[in-house]
Amino acid sequence: MDLLLQLLATGIVVGSLYALCAVGWGLIYGTTLHFHVAHGAVFTLAAYYAYVGQTLLGLPLWLAVVAAILAAALSGLLIDLLIYQPLERRGAVRTVVFIASLGLLIVVENVVAIVFSADPLRLDIGVLRTSLRLGPVYLTWLHALTVAFAVVGFCALVLFLRYSRWGHAIRAVSSAPEMARTVGINLGRVQLLTYALGSAISAPAGILVAMDVGAEPYRGTRFVLLASVAVIMGGIGSLPGALLGGLFLGLLENLGVWKIPSEWQAAISFGVFLLFIVVRPRGMFGRRVASADL
Amino acid sequence: MRSPIHVLAAVLTSALLVPVAGAQEPIKIGAILPLTGSGASYGVWMKGGAEIAAEEINAAGGIAGHKLEVIYEDHAADASKAVNAMRRLVDVEKVPFTLTSYSSPTLAIQPIGAQNKVVMMNGGGQSDNLANKDYLYNNIPVVSNEIGVMADWLAKDKKFKSAAMIVANDEAGRNAAKTFRAAFGAAGGKVIAEEQAALDGTDFRAQLAKLRAAGGDILFISMYGRAVSIIADQAREIGITIPMAATSWALIPETLKSKGADGMLVTKLPFDPTQPFAAKFKERYKTDAGFFAVQYYSGVKIFARAAEEAMKKSGGKLDGEGVKNAIESIRSFDTIAGKLVFQPNHAALMDIEAGVLKGGKVEVEKVIKAGQ
Repeated sequence: MDLLLQLLATGIVVGSLYALCAVGWGLIYGTTLHFHVAHGAVFTLAAYYAYVGQTLLGLPLWLAVVAAILAAALSGLLIDLLIYQPLERRGAVRTVVFIASLGLLIVVENVVAIVFSADPLRLDIGVLRTSLRLGPVYLTWLHALTVAFAVVGFCALVLFLRYSRWGHAIRAVSSAPEMARTVGINLGRVQLLTYALGSAISAPAGILVAMDVGAEPYRGTRFVLLASVAVIMGGIGSLPGALLGGLFLGLLENLGVWKIPSEWQAAISFGVFLLFIVVRPRGMFGRRVASADL
Repeated sequence: MRSPIHVLAAVLTSALLVPVAGAQEPIKIGAILPLTGSGASYGVWMKGGAEIAAEEINAAGGIAGHKLEVIYEDHAADASKAVNAMRRLVDVEKVPFTLTSYSSPTLAIQPIGAQNKVVMMNGGGQSDNLANKDYLYNNIPVVSNEIGVMADWLAKDKKFKSAAMIVANDEAGRNAAKTFRAAFGAAGGKVIAEEQAALDGTDFRAQLAKLRAAGGDILFISMYGRAVSIIADQAREIGITIPMAATSWALIPETLKSKGADGMLVTKLPFDPTQPFAAKFKERYKTDAGFFAVQYYSGVKIFARAAEEAMKKSGGKLDGEGVKNAIESIRSFDTIAGKLVFQPNHAALMDIEAGVLKGGKVEVEKVIKAGQ
């Protein structure tokens, strides 16, 4: 029983990280229909921005984290501005955008590995590393912070989309891009904003993993893969779906090892995903893939 | 008085003659080491030790007048990278000898070495399967020697009854775990749980949560490299309070610095931090030397001694077969760590120490003399 509770708690923590990554990726995919795998590059960069901020520039941890989130948002925005939008203006189809994105992911990860080496770089997180005991469950304060980030980040995003002018614009573009254009919404700008927002929402996940186990250059690939799985499971275009999909994957990965040897951890998620996509291709809350409501 | 032409001719001839007179081709050997990745800390020691040895040999006139040149290759704990490196050393550089490290990579390159008659000297990998292999010599004991001491010490002296194990899912990790299970059982203990994990992993909490639930009174970490310190820290974080144990692999800077690893029960192979070599290493690389630095220093020195012998026999020709025959006939080598004798199984025997890791140092409690 104790083991189950511990795995449940670890699952929620890991699931929160996946959820943050999935919500950001899902927002971008739902709005632009770009299969933005370079989101993994932004995720990786966020961790290294925080490392550079704290270790090389000597910023206090909180400031390094805030700066890293902003820098990640800017990175996402620049990817769209400098790569995807010019490609689309030249009439590139979605596959071309996807290949460009994949190429960018590989280039960024390798450049990071060359500059910082492939070894994990630890951030100094001080008291956040101390244990937090809840009955039979052991976590660290960082893990509690991770769950808090996921909850607050998600709520803030939903409120922004519901109640701000720009949020309305994003939702309009995601549900009916042509209609949005006819009522005078600047699609290019909305797209840039979506990239900045989606990157900013996922950046904390990259930073929090790095704070826990060190920044690594190739981790983004795994996370963006899991994020896309979470989004497809949750239903494309549904942010609550992406959140729950991410949580579900984290829980599955950890609860799965309860009775199955732990070296199968990664295989469990993808096995269940395959099953899921065959049985319910639209995901939990999904609509048709051509457009989406947020 | 000489004419300018004569002077010019003399200068030209001497300029031409010098390289010819000194045209002793350098002797090239390889070194396939973990220079990056989860075991990069070993790489710093191994490469440093080999570099210092090669410099000393060259400063003293080289091997039978030939300069020694070491070509370093990185396997990053990956057997396929080791194979590529070995192919390059064999096909392009045509080395008669290479240093090698780690169990999986060494097992992967051994058939290439044996086929092409290139002697491999392993000073780091410890899988029992590295013994009795053609052209492969281990100037380190195989892990069963060390695990035997560890299991006995834990069960008989420390009175531990039941062990949980976290195991690297590679040759070295699995072989050590298998040996530990048998030896701990023979000494009166019992292994009650085992979880495997990737050597280059950074999050071992799922495995550790399962091991915590399984119980046991000692956690044996059948892992090496960076992973040991991460496991030690995460084990404490996740509420594992029982003592932990690991073999000499674990003793790298990451583990020595880890808070979770304080109090770890370890076996170690002899290393004297007060020897002149250690001071030389520290001065040169600005970091403390360790056991594996001496191992690869010795590996190069053993090669130099064997190569000299081989060239004496062949009248100056050097090939892998000659080096192998020389090692077989010399057998007992003087090293800075004492006499090193290759056993009939191509591995060395050493004293094995058992002790507790405290404040970054091992407090030795027991020493088992080589071969006992």
